[in-house]
Amino acid sequence: MAIKVLKFGGTSVATPEARKLSAMRVISAVQQGYSPVVVVSAIGRRGAPYATDTLLQMIREIDPDVEPDAREVDLLIACGEILSAVVFAHTLKTLGQPAQAFRGGQAGIRTDGVFGNARIMAIHPVSLLRSIEKGFVPVVCGFQGIYVPPEGGPGGELTTLGRGGSDTTAAALGAALKAESVEILTDVDGVKVADPDAVPDAATLSRITYDEVAEIAHLGARVVHPRAAEIAMSYQIPLWIKNTFSDNPGTEIVTRGELAERRLTGVAHTGQLVYLSFHLESIPDSHRTNLESRIFEMMARYDINLYMLNLSPLGTGFAVSRTQFPMVQELLDALVIPLKDGEQPIVVLMQLGNTESQAVTTQRELLASLGKIHVVPVEQTEGCTMVSLVAASQMPRPALFVSVLRTLHEAKIPVLQTADSDLSISVLVPEAECYRAVRLIHDRFEGDAGALL
Amino acid sequence: MSDSENSQFETSIPIAETAFEKRRGIRHVEIRSGYAQVHVTQLKVPISETRLDILQAVGNAEISVDFLKFTPTGVSFMVQDLVAEKTTRILENFGAMFSLAANRHIVTVHAVNMRDEQGLIADVMAHAIRSGAKLEHITDMHDRMLIVVAAEESELLRAALQELAQGKNGN
Repeated sequence: MAIKVLKFGGTSVATPEARKLSAMRVISAVQQGYSPVVVVSAIGRRGAPYATDTLLQMIREIDPDVEPDAREVDLLIACGEILSAVVFAHTLKTLGQPAQAFRGGQAGIRTDGVFGNARIMAIHPVSLLRSIEKGFVPVVCGFQGIYVPPEGGPGGELTTLGRGGSDTTAAALGAALKAESVEILTDVDGVKVADPDAVPDAATLSRITYDEVAEIAHLGARVVHPRAAEIAMSYQIPLWIKNTFSDNPGTEIVTRGELAERRLTGVAHTGQLVYLSFHLESIPDSHRTNLESRIFEMMARYDINLYMLNLSPLGTGFAVSRTQFPMVQELLDALVIPLKDGEQPIVVLMQLGNTESQAVTTQRELLASLGKIHVVPVEQTEGCTMVSLVAASQMPRPALFVSVLRTLHEAKIPVLQTADSDLSISVLVPEAECYRAVRLIHDRFEGDAGALL
Repeated sequence: MSDSENSQFETSIPIAETAFEKRRGIRHVEIRSGYAQVHVTQLKVPISETRLDILQAVGNAEISVDFLKFTPTGVSFMVQDLVAEKTTRILENFGAMFSLAANRHIVTVHAVNMRDEQGLIADVMAHAIRSGAKLEHITDMHDRMLIVVAAEESELLRAALQELAQGKNGN
């Protein structure tokens, strides 16, 4: 039984016409002798009636001040994929191809118990195999599974897999079913060397390695989720990114051995970030590590995700997402930290931004009787984004770094911070300059992208 | 068929039961030796241009740098111990104010998708600082954090981070 997993993204199932085109691809696979297993995302993208964000809005607008329980949110947003799977299965039926819709749990997808960001622990694909044996095409809801707690409980708890969940479902099913290939069908021709919104004529890569696709996806390319790429890599499943709406051959994801040359992969961008710099020059050395530790402990306690960390003799810095920034602001501004370690206890008062807020003024007045207050200015740079140049193998540095920095410098795009890994170099730039930065870096290396370095 | 029935279903078809995704949280902590930490400070204004000139000079000498970070008055990066002297000469020729600390270790914390694991990077940082090791440099990627410390402090840091990993992973 040659199984092929076909995963259709939101736009591929958004309209009756799109669903018909997608369904025809499934039928074509059947005609070629494959046993297709379909995975679907929710219908449409942001703003569509059954898209995940629309469903979330439905519950959040009841009272924006009351956070819904993660368990309930999972039950709600999973409806988008259930609806999509049922509609798609019926579309297949109307075209003469018997099909059955399956929830993640019905497909045997077991996860851990982290609602909203569950990880697949195991798959028991019995019902899918039975369905195939009976001549049906199984249509599985992406993005969801079930968690069966150790203490049991009838049916288990429905969980969702978090960002990129449907891609992850497809790759994991491909591994569990020993599929011949997994195809991620979307509305672009494959993995582009840059975001087409920034570089409309960005080339499509015909082949890319698992490492590269995981790296470029982590850094913002939205073609396939890195978790899916990692599963496909672990199980060596041939993975393709294709366009539902075109006959373009797409991008094939291959092993490093199959594509060994040293070359640039492309330019990616991600995140709406706020960069925070803590100026710690005024803090005595004996207290500094204690203060830094307290800052990071607080960020951890409130589940704040940090990016682009930096430590220097003058202070420390990191970026946070724009969505988490209001919480960070609330936590830090006018925060008073008494530090007892060292020779002399001191009191630190955090001041967010260039101007003293009313809260800081009030705290300063209240604390005046304690003697000298050490004010730590926290410089905030809002509206930042991370732009990254990704390569297939270890980059020749600093040549590439200098080239990127000089390109941006000459275009008067300020670089606020940098980060690098084996396969990428990233720069933090103003969000307003994101597309220009992507374009400039792309143009600087055009011809190198996808080619030898 | 209900969700719970699935796991009890008898079938003749062989089932591939696999743990698909890598474990959440810290997977392991490793130490690499043989690095030197460079802090260049008090660069001439405009700092952004002087930074580039310094990096260009280092690049022209075919010295590979890692963990490049901007600081308010300069730049910091890592080079291999083997090229520490060569780097020193270049920076001296450039007339830069700098410090170069040789015999540094990189303590690497591996954790899948760690930028999306809520608070994980902050937690690692808090534990690293509390370990008592003096953290000289740091960088983060989507699947690891790299922390530079003096060679004699790397085991101290590793122990603290392994303790964190055990606490978080419940083993």
